[in-house]
Amino acid sequence: MELARLARDGDESAFGEIVRRHSPRVFRVASRFFRRREQAEEAAQEIFLKAFTELGSYEARGSFEGWLTRIATNTCLNLLRSQKRRTPELTAADLTEDEGAWLDTQLSDVAAERHRAAENATVAADLADKVLDTMSPDDRLALTLVDGEELSVKEVAEVTGWSESKVKVQAFRARRRMREAVERLLGR
Amino acid sequence: MRDGHVIEILESGPFDALGESALAQVRAHAEVCADCRRAYEAARVSSLLLRGRAARGFEPPPFFQTRVLAALRERQAEQVWALPRLWKAAGALFASMVATVATLGALTFLAPGATQPDAPAEEVAAEEVYSVEESILAQGGGADEEMTYDQVLTVVYEPNDGGAR
Repeated sequence: MELARLARDGDESAFGEIVRRHSPRVFRVASRFFRRREQAEEAAQEIFLKAFTELGSYEARGSFEGWLTRIATNTCLNLLRSQKRRTPELTAADLTEDEGAWLDTQLSDVAAERHRAAENATVAADLADKVLDTMSPDDRLALTLVDGEELSVKEVAEVTGWSESKVKVQAFRARRRMREAVERLLGR
Repeated sequence: MRDGHVIEILESGPFDALGESALAQVRAHAEVCADCRRAYEAARVSSLLLRGRAARGFEPPPFFQTRVLAALRERQAEQVWALPRLWKAAGALFASMVATVATLGALTFLAPGATQPDAPAEEVAAEEVYSVEESILAQGGGADEEMTYDQVLTVVYEPNDGGAR
C-alpha cells in the first residue's frame, strides 16, 4: 500500500490520510471493548500511534485493514487487561429500573419482538456491558465477536492471533458464563 | 447430549446460529424440563443483549485525525529529546570512568611508594638515615654554619647508636 510506505518514510500527511480512512473501522473495534466514548477515543488514538511505530513490520501481502484490525484488537485487549477492574458478580441490585423492566419483558416472545425498538437498544447495550464487565477480557472479546457480531471462528482467529481451537473453547466457556449470569438475573 | 438435556446444544454455538431442528428440539425439551427452560431463556436473552451491544458503536469525533497527528508529534519530540539526554548521561559516565582510570594510573606509576607494601624496618631506617644526610647536605653553605666531622657523625648516627658503629 502506497500510503503505508509513504507514512513509514515519515510522510505525515500520508499517515493523516490513513487515520482518516480507517478511523471508522478502528472506532468500531474500540467500541467492542469500551462502553464510554472517551475510553474508545483514547484507545483509538493509541491504536494509531502503535500502528505508526509498527508500520515497518507491515508487509503488503495481506490487506492493510486486516493488519490494522489486528493491532487494534490486541491493543484494546491489552488496555482492558491492564485495567484489572472487573465487577465480581452482577446482581439485581446493580440493574437500573429500565434494565430490570427490559429483562422482565424479554420473558415473553411478544416482548422479545419489542426489544428491536431503538429506545430499548440502548438499555440492552448498557445491560450487556454490565454483564460483560464481570467477565475476563478474553471471554468478553470471544463473545462479542462470535455471538454478537457473528464473525466466524476463522475470522476471530485472524483478528486476535489466537488459534481456532482457542477461539472455540473461549467462546464456549464465555457463552456458558454469560448464560449463567443472565439466568441469575432472570431468576432474581 | 447427556440425559436428554439441551444445555449442551445451547452452548455449542451462538444462539442465533442454531438451526431450526436444533431449536425445535430445545423448545420441546424446555417444555418439560425446568432447568433447560431457564437455560433456554437465558441463552435467548444473552443473544439479544450481545446483538444490542454489537449494534452500538462510536463514530470518530471531528478533528480526530488532527488529534492523532498532534499526539504523534508530541511522542516523536519526546523521543528526540530522550536521545541527547541519554547521550549526555552516557558521556558523564564515560568521563567519570576515564578520570578514575587516569587517577589510578597516576597513583600506580607516578607515586609507586603509595601503593607498595610496607618496607622492612632496616630499609626504612636506611631511608631515614639517607634523609637526614640529605637534609644535612641541603643545609646552607655559609662558613659559620659549617659542621665538624664529629658533629656530622653525631647527627647522623645518634638515633642508631649501637648498630651503626
